[in-house]
Amino acid sequence: MTVSAFLGNGFDDEPRACAAGSGAFADYDLEARFYDEVFQNDGTPRESCRKLVNSLSRASADDLATLQEGVARRFVHEGITFTVLGATRMSEHIIPIDCVPRVLTAAEWDHIDRGLRQRLTAMNLFLRDIYHEGHSLRDGVIPHELVLGCPQYRVEMRGLKVPHDVYVAVCGTDVVRTNDGFAVLEDNLRVPSGVSYMLACRTAIKRAFPRLYRAQGVREISRYPEHLYTTLTSLGSWGRDPRVAVLTPGHYNSAYYEHAFLAGEMGAELVEGRDLVVHDAIVYVRTASGLKRIDVIYRRVDDDFLDPVTFRSDSLLGVPGLFNAYRTGNVVIANAPGTGVADDKAVYSYVPRIIRYFLDEEPILANVETHLCREPDGLAHTLDHLENLVVKEVGGSGGYGMLVGPHSTAAEREAYAARLRADPTNFISQPVLDLSRASCFVDGRLEPRHVDVRPFVLRGREDIHISPGGLCRVALRKGSLVVNSSQGGGCKDLWILRD
Amino acid sequence: MLARAAADFYWMGRYLERTEHTARLLEFQLTRLVDTPADQLALGWRVVYTTLGHPVPLVPTDADEAEVFLIADAYTLAGTLVEDVTNPNSMISCWSQARENARQLRPWLPVRVWTCLNQGFMWIRDCDFARAWAEGPAELALEAIDRLHLLVGVVDAMMSRDDAWRFMELGRLVERLQHQAVLLDTWVRAGQPSDGPRLSWSDLLRVCRAYELYRRRRSIQVRRESAIGFLVRNPELPRSLRFAVHRIEQLLSGIDPRGARYPLAAPHRMAIRLAASVEMDPGDEDQTRGSELDSFSVLLRDSRQLHDLIMATYVNYPVERGLPS
Repeated sequence: MTVSAFLGNGFDDEPRACAAGSGAFADYDLEARFYDEVFQNDGTPRESCRKLVNSLSRASADDLATLQEGVARRFVHEGITFTVLGATRMSEHIIPIDCVPRVLTAAEWDHIDRGLRQRLTAMNLFLRDIYHEGHSLRDGVIPHELVLGCPQYRVEMRGLKVPHDVYVAVCGTDVVRTNDGFAVLEDNLRVPSGVSYMLACRTAIKRAFPRLYRAQGVREISRYPEHLYTTLTSLGSWGRDPRVAVLTPGHYNSAYYEHAFLAGEMGAELVEGRDLVVHDAIVYVRTASGLKRIDVIYRRVDDDFLDPVTFRSDSLLGVPGLFNAYRTGNVVIANAPGTGVADDKAVYSYVPRIIRYFLDEEPILANVETHLCREPDGLAHTLDHLENLVVKEVGGSGGYGMLVGPHSTAAEREAYAARLRADPTNFISQPVLDLSRASCFVDGRLEPRHVDVRPFVLRGREDIHISPGGLCRVALRKGSLVVNSSQGGGCKDLWILRD
Repeated sequence: MLARAAADFYWMGRYLERTEHTARLLEFQLTRLVDTPADQLALGWRVVYTTLGHPVPLVPTDADEAEVFLIADAYTLAGTLVEDVTNPNSMISCWSQARENARQLRPWLPVRVWTCLNQGFMWIRDCDFARAWAEGPAELALEAIDRLHLLVGVVDAMMSRDDAWRFMELGRLVERLQHQAVLLDTWVRAGQPSDGPRLSWSDLLRVCRAYELYRRRRSIQVRRESAIGFLVRNPELPRSLRFAVHRIEQLLSGIDPRGARYPLAAPHRMAIRLAASVEMDPGDEDQTRGSELDSFSVLLRDSRQLHDLIMATYVNYPVERGLPS
């Protein structure tokens, strides 16, 4: 069958012999301990994936290779890249994309959606509380030293009125699935990235599977930039069209493509710190025809570098006086400075308690069991079970600086243990999760690989919007559990079905 | 338009024009490899390198020596201008710079424009120069020109005529004006009466893609003064000095935040002055030989000043001057 014929008949409702272990899925080995997103334990496809499996069964390996190549080529030509800054030079990389979409049912998504709304609502209340009255600290919901001693806690934010109490307007929460159901692996409340890859993946996969896409009834995500713009501008009141800017560290930043993409899609200015000037506590952008006022800044620069006057004085990326303009209420900054305290990996373990305290509800999405090495029991447990745990730095991200016990050598564990003993407050540990697996086209075969998903949540003045989809990250190396693009991970499209 | 983005568009235009200019000069020189006497080839290399602002390579002046030297070394001389990443004016360096500018302009740049530029860059980056040389030395330059023309066409079809487009066009035309002034200056100097080899005036017209038009408008016999005058003042020729300065004046009139009302912005005033000087001075058939050289030098100096004024007025202006009144 040619690719065009395959594309022309992208789905087939007729039952076919397309179970795991046979036909196109001959190399697909199911393991009961990993939840499989495509097949049930008996090898038959899940109802939501039947059309997808039938489609894939009709395609030859060459067809799929051609599709995969076409999708990757599109990424190359359009420069959908992330940047890696090496020791001597900067290099651009294409994020590996897998052409087989992951499918979630409406009911599954509804569960995630409700859980994320609940979580973000609680986190915004928590942030407001710790920067104002501090009830949760006094009531012992979370140890005050954990919050006040967190490097991301900004004393400059204490008592400061944040527009509509929306500290976190944009959030990307990593959700995983095991045999026990969905759970949150981590919250990204500072400058979550990946939404542009989510949209680029969708565009590419929609082209690759046009008929299947239509037949499946997939929910749309393409209006995300519009929702982002609405969310950002809802945080202030203007008598005119507000001017929005995306503040980027510059084109050396790994997520520069995303910054440029979002600015372009929103019709916002893409600015670096050097493009902005603060005069009389008002933020201006340098245009070719003079200085123009900026009303909203969607910042993709970490707190430390936002304003050399208030935060790190050696920052070349920030804007002198920006925080003063923010404090005066002349500009909206999203996310607000100081939100990082809520996505600290040690604070993470208290999120279920935070939800119960502020909302008086049980968490809809579970947390992953977490041991705090700052506590003697947690440290002892971690040191005793290093070979079975994943150990992370509390402020780390991108998969850097962590130890995956089962995949480590004795020497690596020994070195890591020394770091743990030297600074236990900087670490947490979690059990190695049996992440669910989805079908991927790797090395010319359809095989299962571990996946997670990062949905993007927007919190405006009045409501929360969650794009029905997310960046589905996949560990492309066989057996690997690390999905970060900087660590050999890739991405795939996530299809949320209408019903 | 963001001032830094305006600068990036401007420089992107300049780098793309520079790449094409290098490609055209190379195509001219490499096409002649087959049947041109070695001493003329040596002069050709000197003119190409001088025009591109690159140190002139040490080439022998003796015809016999040149024969041996040039044929063996044409590959190296061309390679320096095509694939040498340490040479800031090589085609790959200029294309790469244009792409870097474009990368920072993604929010303002239509996807198709970026894709076309990016594909062109990847083509030259992945090009096997040795293999391309074996297939025909001039083919590589020709393909580069075709790809750049494709990009210009995509820009023309896809971009709104806003300040982004104006700054990019402005960059292309300022670059063109400077290059044409240097090319004319270099060619006229190389054509000064002497016993040595000379370059033909019809070749100059060919390098500037003006030969066919000249033949139709004037004569098949190319005369020195007539050719220079044609390249300076013909309004229909995209590479004439007059064409460039008039387009620059129009573009600056569109960019001027005061809407081209008096007092005009400094770059706009300078462009009008340049237009007047092109109209009046160099390449006039009545002028005495050699007087064009002074005119080209003045033109080049003024065009560089125009660049400085553009940067000072629209990009690097002091904050106090930019505050809203």
